[in-house]
Amino acid sequence: MAMGGGASFPFQWPSDPGLDAVALPPLPTVVPDAAAAGVAYYAAADMHAAMPSALPDFAAALAAMRREEEEAAGIRLVHLLMSCAGAVEAGDPAAASAHLADAHAALAAVSPSSGIGRVAVHFSAALSRRLFPPTPSPPTPATQPPAEAAADHAFLYHQFYEAGPYLKFAHFTANQAILEAVHGCTHVHIIDFNLMQGLQWPALIQALALRPGGPPSLRLTGIGPPSPPGRDDLRDVGVRLADLARSVRVHFSFRGVAANRLDEVRPWMLQVSQGEAVAVNSVLQLHRLVAGDSDSDDPARAAAAPIDAVLECVASMRPRVFAVVEQEADHNKAGFLDRFTEALFYYSAVFDSLDAASGGGGAVDAAAEAYLEREICDIVCGEGAERRERHEPLRRWRDRLGRAGLAGVPLGANALRQARMLVGLFSGEGHCVEEADGCLTLGWHGRPLFSASAWRAEENNHQSDSNADASSSGGGSEESNISCSS
Amino acid sequence: MGGPAASPAPRQPEQADVTELELRIQLLGGGVVGYNINDNADILAEILARLDGRSLAAAACVCRLWAAVARRDAVWEALCLRHVGPAPPAGPATRAVVAALGGYRRLYRLCLGPALDRLGRAAQAHHHHHHQVARAHHQHRLSLSLSLSLFSIDCYERLGAGTSAGRKPPPPSSLLFLCKPVDVS
Repeated sequence: MAMGGGASFPFQWPSDPGLDAVALPPLPTVVPDAAAAGVAYYAAADMHAAMPSALPDFAAALAAMRREEEEAAGIRLVHLLMSCAGAVEAGDPAAASAHLADAHAALAAVSPSSGIGRVAVHFSAALSRRLFPPTPSPPTPATQPPAEAAADHAFLYHQFYEAGPYLKFAHFTANQAILEAVHGCTHVHIIDFNLMQGLQWPALIQALALRPGGPPSLRLTGIGPPSPPGRDDLRDVGVRLADLARSVRVHFSFRGVAANRLDEVRPWMLQVSQGEAVAVNSVLQLHRLVAGDSDSDDPARAAAAPIDAVLECVASMRPRVFAVVEQEADHNKAGFLDRFTEALFYYSAVFDSLDAASGGGGAVDAAAEAYLEREICDIVCGEGAERRERHEPLRRWRDRLGRAGLAGVPLGANALRQARMLVGLFSGEGHCVEEADGCLTLGWHGRPLFSASAWRAEENNHQSDSNADASSSGGGSEESNISCSS
Repeated sequence: MGGPAASPAPRQPEQADVTELELRIQLLGGGVVGYNINDNADILAEILARLDGRSLAAAACVCRLWAAVARRDAVWEALCLRHVGPAPPAGPATRAVVAALGGYRRLYRLCLGPALDRLGRAAQAHHHHHHQVARAHHQHRLSLSLSLSLFSIDCYERLGAGTSAGRKPPPPSSLLFLCKPVDVS
């Protein structure tokens, strides 16, 4: 199949809506690029070729046929969406809207509670947003007052945190990496690239409180967007964490750094002191800094990107550990159709897994869906500087981090065991945690969705861990706050 | 209520059962010395500490003394430590941290109990579907550190609920997911 850049789209799907499900032309056996990731979901393609020949029970036959019809309808819908995306890439808006209209019609045939139904709704909405951009006057997320937007985002994030195992997996694995890396250190400074509500840190504070040898003195620097005047969200989170730390007698101090983008943060703002063990934590943040220009398979162009500035900053702090969790997907491709297809299969898997995690009744939390919908919209509609969700697979992160002078730290058996235990608590046999080259990936039925890894600066000068500083004792916690805007 | 051997009046079965239970325990002491389990709260605590979660909760409904004894965190501590493993030596430090976060009783009620139930149901369903020999009951599929981590997040979320401007509904408990039905597909 010709991919991307061709004058003809790869899928010539008959647009006659009167086609019976059984009479569908044979499906292409290799779905572009998604074959590598997510075929498991569409293995149904093979099943269509051989209808069950002899069925003992008529009711069972009927149910099976209905299922097959639904699956066929779902697959047809997918192909319609991809045809539309192909038309968009080829620059043919008329054909694109035609396909999109067909897709909308096909949506009606697919049950909205099935995995593909829900995902397709979001993708077709995103496509129509791309084809017919809304007029600027109604408030879009970009023009919403920043306070509202941030609060909404925080709420959706929290719901997403509760709905599935992903963020918990991210936090717990990163915490384990940090815990192991700062073993024996008396002063620990953690820099969190995206504080949000600070949900990652109570568990680490508790684990540090219980570590053999007693807790270290903990400093947390939380980076987040600036708060509207009259509020200080970062400080509020810091106060809550300080309360918790005080109750478990961990010496804790907090500093908030307000910045709209990570590359606005300079090392001096973080105020790293001599002799403290630095741990940097980035959960789903690095992909937003990747090359502004989409044709970035050329490392020379990529070098100008903000990501390299940030990685340099991290490396210059000589962290004991740099914990990185990212989506395991390739959504930063140059070609729109490639990206669209990858994203379609990725988010289908995520929605499926969310469905299973919420009990399998099709009752996925609406806010968690909305959180993902924003990502989908960004991937499909955003171009150039507007696109922030530029997910890249782990092997590309390895290259980038390696170029910045960071070496991988294997995550270890404890992290794996804990991750498996955690994921085992969530329903659905489909979730799996795999280990590869010292990194952990959380996946759904074999399709990796999120990857967690740990890094440190190469040629680490091992300073003595004991700190001559006379630090104040007991559970008193103080927090100072410095806000630096761009 | 009738004699010890007579069945209780069906008017209020639970109440009658409870009273009969008390009576039976009193009479178990026999007529010789008149020993009553309620005489020694520490021995009662030792016994209750060996119960499972549901029985312990039921025991707390027996009478005020039992309720008070069942409320002792040491009793719940024994229960919790029995179910998680590999058991680290739970010293005073662990006790202090758990107490700060809300206590073992709360840890069991919010985290360990639902988690064990959930793992038990999943194991049962698995067994049912795959006709395998059920795993040994005391295979530890939960560690103390993991449950404490989840517990600390919950504690933290509750800390926040009090201070947030009541614009949005209070944040969901991080442990609610444990109560969701298990998908055994």
